[in-house]
Amino acid sequence: MTEVVRPGAGLIFMKVGTHAGEDLKDIIARKRREIEEAGFGLWGYGGNTCHPLRVREFAREYEVRSGVIYLCMHRMESHHRAAPKRATEYSADGVNWQTVPAAINVLGSRYALAITDLHEESFLLPLQRTRVAVGASVGRRGDLYVQGRVDKGCLEVLGDTPTRDSAEAAPLEIGLLAQLVEPYAVLLR
Amino acid sequence: MAEEDIDLRAAVNAVSDVVQNRPRPLREFDQIYMKTGDMVMQSEFVARWADGKRLAFIGDGDAISVCVAYLKARGIVPYGPSEIVVYDFDERITNAVARFAEKEGLETLAARLYNCLDAFPGPTDFDCFYTNPPWGASNAGESVKVFVQRGMEATSYGGEGLVVVADDPDLEWPGRVLANLQAAAISSGFFIQRMMPRLHSYHLDDAPDLRSCNLLLKAAPGNQGPEQSLPIRDAERLANFYGRDLCPRVHFVRENIRLDYGKASEGEYSLELLEAEDDRGC
Repeated sequence: MTEVVRPGAGLIFMKVGTHAGEDLKDIIARKRREIEEAGFGLWGYGGNTCHPLRVREFAREYEVRSGVIYLCMHRMESHHRAAPKRATEYSADGVNWQTVPAAINVLGSRYALAITDLHEESFLLPLQRTRVAVGASVGRRGDLYVQGRVDKGCLEVLGDTPTRDSAEAAPLEIGLLAQLVEPYAVLLR
Repeated sequence: MAEEDIDLRAAVNAVSDVVQNRPRPLREFDQIYMKTGDMVMQSEFVARWADGKRLAFIGDGDAISVCVAYLKARGIVPYGPSEIVVYDFDERITNAVARFAEKEGLETLAARLYNCLDAFPGPTDFDCFYTNPPWGASNAGESVKVFVQRGMEATSYGGEGLVVVADDPDLEWPGRVLANLQAAAISSGFFIQRMMPRLHSYHLDDAPDLRSCNLLLKAAPGNQGPEQSLPIRDAERLANFYGRDLCPRVHFVRENIRLDYGKASEGEYSLELLEAEDDRGC
């Protein structure tokens, strides 16, 4: 296990690819520039999993425990075609809204993670050695949770205790890593 | 379904009318809607369970209250409560209930804006209550207990209750919530009449397999509760109400009144007109 994947650590797993018609390579380059200029970047996402309020619950708890929350990204083929409309405001609580800094362009997303230190790093993540750490599925094994329509999750890394299933799924390759920073996750509009 | 024959198509279409009238859910407040097929079954059950009784809904984003009243008014089921009052902190919901009741002439159905952290406003002579509260994954059921307390107050601790909570044998937290809820009910002088496991599913993408159960409570004979309903201000009870470290901050969700209620918002679309041509003949 790497420094990222150690028992007790919290991490966010996410499958990533083309988003709002923009190639992943271009998104990465753009987000790195945003981090340089604004001090942090907003990594947009959608769907109904990883609601920002749940992510913030998770991040606050696990940052205390393990110091850093990593966003571990697995590349996939994606045909996300949402309109690339730029968010102009963000909110950590859905009540108080702030202007998105001019240097940050988050497109076609209703939620975003606040990140820094976005870089390529390759290692294997055994999802069956993780469990969901927050929300209605808390406690469910990671590989049983991240399937079908669910493509991301707030997970806790478990120890090496064997799972109940003899046939374990192959670990997933992580190719892109970032650190979560305050305010961790936000709603966009 | 009940022993009587029910026109299933009519029942599904009636619930479809109700679903069409509901405001969109706010996930920030754990408004997560039950799937329509389960709403049909649940509404029929509630109509039968509360037949001829006065029923208080402590929160009702699903609009089961409306379905129950509507199924009876349309003659789809021959039974149902004699009166239903919905208490909810979301004005979009209470207004939607009132609008539907007015449009369909449902004289037994009413709604009041109420936050369950405030003292219960009364009346307190309902026969029974229904609640499908925030399920308390992060607070071991404390949020469920708050809603149930208000339901018990609505019956002066002397009636029956139907509580809808998560039920999943593969997860630990629903079992913990169920245990804490049952202990709280018993300590309030209620007993568990019946549990109907894993009945309902929801539009909940991060837990699509999560089900809920019906837990039916009944006050022990002669049971009495506190004389006065008090607001809940206990920081410990509120600390994780909507999730870990997410205590309630919103008193009411207010509806932004629109003249085109029920229609697609103009913010959703714009019109691209046909080019003006004389030969279209209009």
